[in-house]
Amino acid sequence: MMSAFKILIVDDEELIVRLLSMSLRSDGYQTVSAFSGEQGLEVFKAESPDIVVTDIKMPGMDGLELLKKIKEIDPEKEVIIVTGHGDIDSTITALQYGASDFINKPVRDAALAIALERAKSKIAIRKTLEEYTTNLEIKIAEATEEIRRKSNFQRLLITSSHDAIVAFDRDWKVVVYNPEAARIFGEAAKDVRNKMTIDDLYTPKIAKVFKNQVKDEKDQRNFPWKEQVIHTKDGRQIPVRYASNVLFENNEFVGTVNFFQDLTEIKRLEKELVQSERLAAVGQTVSGLAHYVKNILIGLKGGSYIVDVGIQKNNMEKLRSGWETIKKNIKRISDLTQDLLTYSKQREPEMETCSPHDIINELMELLKGFAASKNIIFSKNLDKSIGQITADPKTIHHALLNIINNAMDACIEDEDITKKHEVKILTHIDKNHMICFEVEDNGCGMDEDTRKKLFTPMFSSKGGKGTGLGLLVTGKLIEEHKGVIEIETSPGVGSTFRIKLPYTKVKSVDGN
Amino acid sequence: MSKKVLVVDDDPDVRSFVVTVLEENQYIPLIAQDGVEGLEKIEKEKPDLVILDVLMPRGSGIRLYHHLKTHDQFKALPIIMFTGIALRSFLKSQKVLDEFQGAEVPKPDIYLEKPVDPEVLAAAVRKKLG
Repeated sequence: MMSAFKILIVDDEELIVRLLSMSLRSDGYQTVSAFSGEQGLEVFKAESPDIVVTDIKMPGMDGLELLKKIKEIDPEKEVIIVTGHGDIDSTITALQYGASDFINKPVRDAALAIALERAKSKIAIRKTLEEYTTNLEIKIAEATEEIRRKSNFQRLLITSSHDAIVAFDRDWKVVVYNPEAARIFGEAAKDVRNKMTIDDLYTPKIAKVFKNQVKDEKDQRNFPWKEQVIHTKDGRQIPVRYASNVLFENNEFVGTVNFFQDLTEIKRLEKELVQSERLAAVGQTVSGLAHYVKNILIGLKGGSYIVDVGIQKNNMEKLRSGWETIKKNIKRISDLTQDLLTYSKQREPEMETCSPHDIINELMELLKGFAASKNIIFSKNLDKSIGQITADPKTIHHALLNIINNAMDACIEDEDITKKHEVKILTHIDKNHMICFEVEDNGCGMDEDTRKKLFTPMFSSKGGKGTGLGLLVTGKLIEEHKGVIEIETSPGVGSTFRIKLPYTKVKSVDGN
Repeated sequence: MSKKVLVVDDDPDVRSFVVTVLEENQYIPLIAQDGVEGLEKIEKEKPDLVILDVLMPRGSGIRLYHHLKTHDQFKALPIIMFTGIALRSFLKSQKVLDEFQGAEVPKPDIYLEKPVDPEVLAAAVRKKLG
């Protein structure tokens, strides 16, 4: 609750002052009084009342003069003028001086009370207004500070970003261009910001991408990161990836913002990685190969020793056995050389009319002795409708020999010796008109890791007994023949290798 | 009385080489193609020495080595390890460690890395058997 209003009463008639004071005090006001204009001004200065009630006619300084002086000190102060009847001129002057209200003499309590209430409510309104204004000022100051902070923060955000950020207004003039952008594009910010357009800064190709983006339908506007090499004005080439957003305010196009990331370091690391992977592959290749060649050497050395013994002892059996060993290892080394040459050279298939089933029968004849010695059952299920086809018989022979050998190795390597090991060879024509050769075994199978490495150069799951080249060469031959190899395998259950080649049947000609 | 030496190797070339070396040095050669057959021959023929390849199908070389080194009746039987891999690789091979399940892998009496000259192999056998 506000403290009691203080009212200054000024009149040269003491009695009136006292009566008014008494009446006002009983209404709860605080009063101070003066009996002349001069005294009134002094008391005003000393007491700083809220409202002044002054008689207009006084000797010396009259009410008008006092009003004027008070208004000079505080133009907001409420001054109520007490006038006599018909004193129009003075009333007008008082109005001009800023009097708040008038009451006629003799002063009636009710009239004074109304005038005071009016003055009070004016004061109250003014006070509220004042508070409101003050509040508003504080709020504006706070909001300004907040905006300044936020914009500073955003400026820092843009400035310190590791991405280059470039923004254009609706006329394609550069408005944002951060230090990273300056580094990538090689143009100083002062020469770019508010000076260059998109066509000055970017190559036509990139500029076009961003300009077209604005024309696109809203839902197609966002494109995934794109990669591009930027040729800067100072002759550097910087690989970047970039993205862009179209900016709208109330559905109105206001500009675009582009983001660029320098990929130089990433590209360098990628290159290094490829390089080191290549070196590792070369290392693996060489060591795999060395191991295999060492095994051949063991055979050759052993064989020649046995031959020596045979010669010394004139032992025909030793001679024969040693010589067999030597010949076998000569064949291994010649096969290896052939594989290496096949793998390293591009070779066109030599297409001719041939019978795939003849090739299969020939291979089974060749391998059946070995299979029997390892207790492997050999079987076939061939589609008789296949007949003669146009293909490279060498490719078919090489590929089938390789995967049948692998199938038998998988049986030999299998831990489960209770199994009746089997290798089945099947042929058929599939729905895509490809001729399929399937070699199915119930040997050891492969885990996922081994399966993935199958076509890696020099990867061998057979220790020193494989070159790691077999499947690689087969894969290459099949690929050159426009075919594919599919593998299904499960550890402990077995594997199926399926070779698919384009099927071009040759019609048999009568009387030929 | 000549002493008996068992060659356990899956490679026929290696077997005939070792057999010839043994014959030339007046030992009686016995052969086995894998670890399973090897153990049968050891129990039946009681050889005085085993020349053992480690890398054989089904891991049977490592298994046989483990069996011989962990059964009292075979502990005294000398073994010449005859293989294509270096001793260090052998002792650290995952298959070998798995077989011994964390226990220390006992070092073979003699470890020969292929290829080996006949004289070296003969000397190694003589060293064990006299």
